Amino acid sequence: MSTELTVPPHVAPTDAPAIAELCNITKSFAVGRGRELKVLDQIDLAIHEGELLALLGQSGSGKSTLLRCLTGLTKPTSGRVLCYGRPLEGINPNASIVFQTFALYPWLTVEQNVEVGLMAKRLTRTEKAEAIEKAIDLIGLNNYHSAFPREISGGMRQRVGIARALVSQPKILCLDEAFSALDVLTAENLRKEVVGLWQGEGTGLKSIFMVTHNIEEAVEMATRICVLFPHPGRLGIVLANNLPYPRNPSHPEFQRLMKVIHETITLQALPDLPPEPPPAAGRPISRARARMESIPTVGVSQILGLLSILHDQPDLNNVYDISDEIGKEFGETIAIVKAAEILEFVNTPKDEVQFTELGRRFFLSDRATRKQIFAEQVRKLRLFHIILAYLETQEEVSAETVTHDIATALPYENPEKILQTMIAWGRYAGLMDYNANTDMVTLPEEEEEEDEEKTAAEK
Amino acid sequence: MKSTATQLGAADGKRTFNWVDLLIFGGVLGVLWSILQFGSGMMVHFDATSQSLPISTHIRHIPYYAGRTLLRMWIAFGFSLIFTFSVGYAAAKNRIARAIILPFMDIMQSIPVLSFLTIFITFFVSLFPGSLIGVECASVLTVFTGQVWNMAFGFYHSMVTIPQDLHEAATNYRLTALQRFQKLEVPASMHSLIWNCMMSFGAGWFAVSASEAITVLGKNIQLPGLGSYMATAVSTGDYWAAFWAIITMLSVILATDQLVWRPLLVWADKFKMELTESAHPPTSWFYDLLRRAYIFEWIGEHVLIPLSTFYDDLRAKLSARHAENFVKPNKIGRYVWLVVGIVLLLGLLSEVILGAMAGFDAVYHHISMAEIVKIVGLGFVTLLRVLAVTILATLIWTPVGVWIGSRQRVAQFAQPLVQIFASFPVNMTFPLIVGLFVRYNIDMNWGCILLIAMGAQWYILFNVIAGAMAIPNDLKEAAKNYGLKGWPLWKTLILPAIFPFWITGACTAAGGAWNATILAEVASWGDKTLKATGLGAFIAEVSSQAGGAGTPALICGTAIMALFVVVINKLVWRRLYSYAEHRFHLD
Repeated sequence: MSTELTVPPHVAPTDAPAIAELCNITKSFAVGRGRELKVLDQIDLAIHEGELLALLGQSGSGKSTLLRCLTGLTKPTSGRVLCYGRPLEGINPNASIVFQTFALYPWLTVEQNVEVGLMAKRLTRTEKAEAIEKAIDLIGLNNYHSAFPREISGGMRQRVGIARALVSQPKILCLDEAFSALDVLTAENLRKEVVGLWQGEGTGLKSIFMVTHNIEEAVEMATRICVLFPHPGRLGIVLANNLPYPRNPSHPEFQRLMKVIHETITLQALPDLPPEPPPAAGRPISRARARMESIPTVGVSQILGLLSILHDQPDLNNVYDISDEIGKEFGETIAIVKAAEILEFVNTPKDEVQFTELGRRFFLSDRATRKQIFAEQVRKLRLFHIILAYLETQEEVSAETVTHDIATALPYENPEKILQTMIAWGRYAGLMDYNANTDMVTLPEEEEEEDEEKTAAEK
Repeated sequence: MKSTATQLGAADGKRTFNWVDLLIFGGVLGVLWSILQFGSGMMVHFDATSQSLPISTHIRHIPYYAGRTLLRMWIAFGFSLIFTFSVGYAAAKNRIARAIILPFMDIMQSIPVLSFLTIFITFFVSLFPGSLIGVECASVLTVFTGQVWNMAFGFYHSMVTIPQDLHEAATNYRLTALQRFQKLEVPASMHSLIWNCMMSFGAGWFAVSASEAITVLGKNIQLPGLGSYMATAVSTGDYWAAFWAIITMLSVILATDQLVWRPLLVWADKFKMELTESAHPPTSWFYDLLRRAYIFEWIGEHVLIPLSTFYDDLRAKLSARHAENFVKPNKIGRYVWLVVGIVLLLGLLSEVILGAMAGFDAVYHHISMAEIVKIVGLGFVTLLRVLAVTILATLIWTPVGVWIGSRQRVAQFAQPLVQIFASFPVNMTFPLIVGLFVRYNIDMNWGCILLIAMGAQWYILFNVIAGAMAIPNDLKEAAKNYGLKGWPLWKTLILPAIFPFWITGACTAAGGAWNATILAEVASWGDKTLKATGLGAFIAEVSSQAGGAGTPALICGTAIMALFVVVINKLVWRRLYSYAEHRFHLD
């Protein structure tokens, strides 16, 4: 498929005033030894009064960083943050964050934790007590006043987090993966209540800005959904969602939105590239793909698991169904499928996942042959030539050197994680080993012996 | 007070004042009285040139002497706490301060405590001529240097390991620096702070008892206290008095542990970072008793809440003038702090440079190269002894510690006991042991290894017990299931699991051993003095020389001992730490 990836926003900016605005934000982090990792690239985003904006993205797409720029916890490397049209100085006084980890103070009671949200406000004791009581009442924490966080359940803890955020009457409530640490039922219930709080009177709340990797959660809650593409984080697609609340997941529009988002993410992660130019004869290195491609950081056993599912359930050929079947987040499923695709075990025309001939043969082989096929496929990946080239001339190479080379080749990725995955794949393929004590990537020890085994097996 | 109590009681059957409150009231009065009583003894006339204060070995005087010693400990501890909060906070918050403070404390904690004592006494006696307060200050400051570094490092470490999200919450809700300190930083550090305080306070007993009776600059200086009582008892051959001194010392340590540290530890359990309840929360009978008191609740209701209400209302009224309901970053304040910081820093720096130059000057003119080589040689002899102590204590106490640590019941009882042994200043008993050496003609060069080990060994035992207790149950069950026994069991499970704990213990033990050499390599029994060859003996000898003749040698010896400690820390312990962290970390 060769559709343009960056779909223009479907939604014209609303007329309501923007509470907070990110103008051309870029954010890079120093990651040691003078290297910089760009996490956000030229983001333009405004949060208007009265909307519930969801920012969707996989882990590592920079969505939490974006939220931190908006609230003033982090300063962007370049670009401006506006607050009702005026440049933001320090912490955004209009925004309160609800954290994924709750971030409650374990030594304070529920009531005292909520009071933390009011500390910057200069209110009399009576006013404070009233505000706290109101927030506690609103979120259904009555009778929990003097409980300590460690005495209550995760759902109740997050309610304390929400009460703490609401008590200071912010204009925007920022939810940073606020439901992802909760179990399914608790999360579902709390999502409904948060929407209710935003719709209802009495909180002073104008907008909600939520960051999540859960597509259904975004479609269920948000009036506007932005999808963030990773490495580095860029705005991919913006969708309006005008369904009335409470939303029904089987509603056609709900389904359509889910599908559009799924397709966008799939297309971005698994583009249907034009075929590679034919390899030049005699030079093994040219068999590698022409451009340096990153690998998804998934383990070998996950790839094997995917193949096993494809083999056992031949009618399971759609990436969404696979995601449901294996019970993983869509982003993670996509990563596993992509890994299998890079190794040429599957094909992914559109959103379908099909076994290739090689993939089927690989899956049905015994261990030695599997290893041989895997090694062949890994050798085709240009990224691996960084290490393999070193190991042609020397016994071992320091992980630090390799990390540096990876960082140069793939400037927007986390080179340590990539290296870990490469070592895992390389070990399975019998191409390399890693010594944690010396921090060296080495040639595998019993390579010759196993070669003999292999030839013996072939005979 | 009583009338209020009855009123409250009559109102609605609430809790009222009871006999526990009376007990607390009596306790507070007692503490105030003893501060006055023992404190007044610190200011009496004292002339360094004439005879020292007479110490009575009558058993009747023991409580008084114990009180004096205890008061010194608490004054020193108070200063340590102030230092810990201010310096630890600065190091955690400010990059420049950190770059100076951390290496400084690192060096300071490798300098033997007793070398400080000589310098402090010289300084304070000349600062307060004709009063005992000078010697008292020197003693207090010595105890301070014996405990403060560990506390400050601990506080710094827990400050910088506060989870990021808790900090972000504080920032998002725009807490002021003071609010953040009160609500986040101190509570988050509380548990480790109290634990560290307890350990450091225990280490202080060694310094206080040593500083009370010491020969410095050719003079016997004796401060009224348990240490000097013991010294006098031994020198006059009054064994019953010596026995009672030891018993008293142990009781005082035990009482401090039971009445102060245990209750604090129980209280601090709620400041633990985990969001789960502790499996075996510590218990304290005294804490349970205190909780029955009404006075704390009363203070909360009638003092703290009205005060904070008053403060809040005042703040609300004052800020009513400002339209904005939130605080803006104060730029002028930052500049003022910057200037104050720079001035303080320059002052400190010039002081350090001047001191270093003076010290260098003294050494340069009086110590030849050959002497330095000799001192380094002595350092190696002492190093061998420290090494021997560490190895012997490890060989003996590891099996014992593992045995204790694998039995929950025994461990809960034994661990606090070992900690009390570790706190006991064994240097008080050195003369008695030396008496045995004299009788059985034991060479001090070997004998002093025992003296050094008497104090240092407990750290190894204590930590090995902790390590054995921390072995996860599933790993033990797996080992049992696969029939691992004897050496294979030790090799695959026990030794790797306790290794990180052993390093902490051995490192502390080695540090304590270096400190102890100054007292252990030269010790007297009556008029007999046994002396071993070593750096500790050298330092002890030069610091007792009259008229400051030994000062250059003292500086040189101390510097070389500190150098030994620093180098070994860097070469051995740090590496072992990171290796253990890397390889044997159990999660």
